Amino acid sequence: MENRKAYIVSDCIVSPFGIGTDETVAALDAGRSAVTPRGGLMKDLEGNDVPVMCSLVPQEVCDALSDIFGPQWTRAELFALGAARGALDGVALDGGAMDDRASGMAEGVRMAVIFSTTKGNISLVEGVGEDCAVPAGAFLWDSSRRMGNFLGYADKDIYTISNACISGVTALAMARRLILSGKYDSVLVVGFDALNEFIVSGFASFKSLSGEICRPYDASRCGLNLGEAAAAILLSERPSGGAVVLAGGSVSDDANHISGPSRTGDALFFAIRDAMSQAGIAPGDVSFADLHGTATVYNDEMESKALALAGLSDVPVQSFKPYIGHTLGASGVIEAVLCARELRRGLMWGTPGFSCCGTPFPVNACAGPRCLEMRHCVKTASGFGGCNAAVVMSLPESAGGSAGNQDGCAAGGHLKAASLETVRRVKMDNETAAEEGFKDDFPAYIREKYRSLGVQDLKFFKMDDMARLGYVASSILLQGLEYGPEDIAVLLSNSSASLDSDLRHQANLDSGKGASPAVFVYTLPNVTSGEISIRHKIKGENTFFISEGYDREKMMEYASLVLAESKAGYAIVGWIDYLRGNFSADLELVRETSCHP
Amino acid sequence: MEELIEQLKSKIIEALNLEELTPGDIDPDAPLFGDAGLGLDSIDALELILILERDYGIRISQEEGRQIFRSVRTMAEYISSKKA
Repeated sequence: MENRKAYIVSDCIVSPFGIGTDETVAALDAGRSAVTPRGGLMKDLEGNDVPVMCSLVPQEVCDALSDIFGPQWTRAELFALGAARGALDGVALDGGAMDDRASGMAEGVRMAVIFSTTKGNISLVEGVGEDCAVPAGAFLWDSSRRMGNFLGYADKDIYTISNACISGVTALAMARRLILSGKYDSVLVVGFDALNEFIVSGFASFKSLSGEICRPYDASRCGLNLGEAAAAILLSERPSGGAVVLAGGSVSDDANHISGPSRTGDALFFAIRDAMSQAGIAPGDVSFADLHGTATVYNDEMESKALALAGLSDVPVQSFKPYIGHTLGASGVIEAVLCARELRRGLMWGTPGFSCCGTPFPVNACAGPRCLEMRHCVKTASGFGGCNAAVVMSLPESAGGSAGNQDGCAAGGHLKAASLETVRRVKMDNETAAEEGFKDDFPAYIREKYRSLGVQDLKFFKMDDMARLGYVASSILLQGLEYGPEDIAVLLSNSSASLDSDLRHQANLDSGKGASPAVFVYTLPNVTSGEISIRHKIKGENTFFISEGYDREKMMEYASLVLAESKAGYAIVGWIDYLRGNFSADLELVRETSCHP
Repeated sequence: MEELIEQLKSKIIEALNLEELTPGDIDPDAPLFGDAGLGLDSIDALELILILERDYGIRISQEEGRQIFRSVRTMAEYISSKKA
């Protein structure tokens, strides 16, 4: 089998600095920050506007995008389309023309697109209330399908990942696997999010927003800045001028707390370790690391611990957040684009505002630019639900020759899918509840199911309904199974993401009651995977997909790639959805049975 | 004071979704956080800050919260001292 690699052949950023990667690069070269005080995004309990330090895409950029794509798209979609189109039409990174096969334009090239977003068109749920129908566009799969079709992708080749703040890095890790396995030749990864009151008031209720430009890793850091943007990366099995190699990618969960980062940093370390192992590199090979670096006290502490565990404490580290804020579902992609530029230019922009290291373990950050001898870069992200992701990007001349399966299942440069068998399966939905005498009464049904587990866990009652469903279904699924923390991956999907809790959070805002942290924390679907991971102490891969219905075949196909490459021998694969009393869970415990020699 | 304590217990149960508990189950002197008492976490602490702000008009920082939220009684005492 051929020795496939995933090359970053083109990219495009839509940010507050404008449309096109070069606009953002020029701003960073000039040391500019897009973070400024902005009104209209948050109110206090008396209903007064409260200015927030954040990074917004200017109206003229939105207008320009609307002129190109038409008035039918939301702001978030315009960002995504602008970045996607830019990457697809773009020239190769060295300024030359792109190889037709790399760009996906040639006949017979198998193409896919992965959209990565935390909240997509969340602005559409404003004022929906308890009784009105949820607009179709608020469903992430609907938005992805319309955008994907518009860009020329068939329904079956459109994926959506909503995995909190690691969505972008997770999408890159997945894209690499889809290319290495030979399923696709060209994969476009599009990360995007647009800010509104829903998002800003939620983060404010967590007391995690900084009143000034954020200062990652600094002793005086006091929180994050939010931002909005989109970025797209086109990956191809064909190199094109100047292409950087996406040499490794892995995901983990720290099974500690749904909003508080791990106190040990072990799971972020697992993700970094596995991504580096796939890339075939050691700590001494890493030229620099671009971390999540949100500038919250606990995130940055956790990262410093993970760096120490990974042997990377001396490696130059940066965070882009002081320039563009935390752009949520876009962040992993936009930051990977910028890292690829840094690798090629031999220059690292640095972390403005950093002066005195304020983390328990050393972080080799620096406020200004540094010239470095470039070979490999580690890019990470961490997010709510306890999730972590890491990718390794390498200059082509440094990228190793073999990307063989990490756990020794297969030799050579091809990722071979593992064979899977279903060990157990649990299904729960409105029908099964009705059969057991709980027609249209989810609260009573799930409480009864919880009681029959025979556990005492006050946390169960604090969860939203989807997480309760996940908690109970996974507990039944795993009963009596013996495993280690890294033995299980959790790959889930649903249709409504976290819309049920989204509507609750929105209702709090619409009624003037204000954001409740206990509600807002569940406005991400992967918090359900996080609760499952916490309950069962699972630290393996963790990814949440959104699709119209349960596409079991597609989920199993990806599970077979994850199990082939990760330490895990089991995966929880399935569907878990809850919206306004309609629910369904279909979870399977699958086992890796063989490796094709 | 006892009335305020009972009121706080109900508000805490409602805000934190402790639906298995009744006000009678909460010992006003037991620790709210940590494994010994109710086992509340950082998100719960933010909700408690909101209760003070929204229902009693008292703004506190997360740092101050650590002391104030030791138990339901310390919360009640803090509120009365501010209202006095």
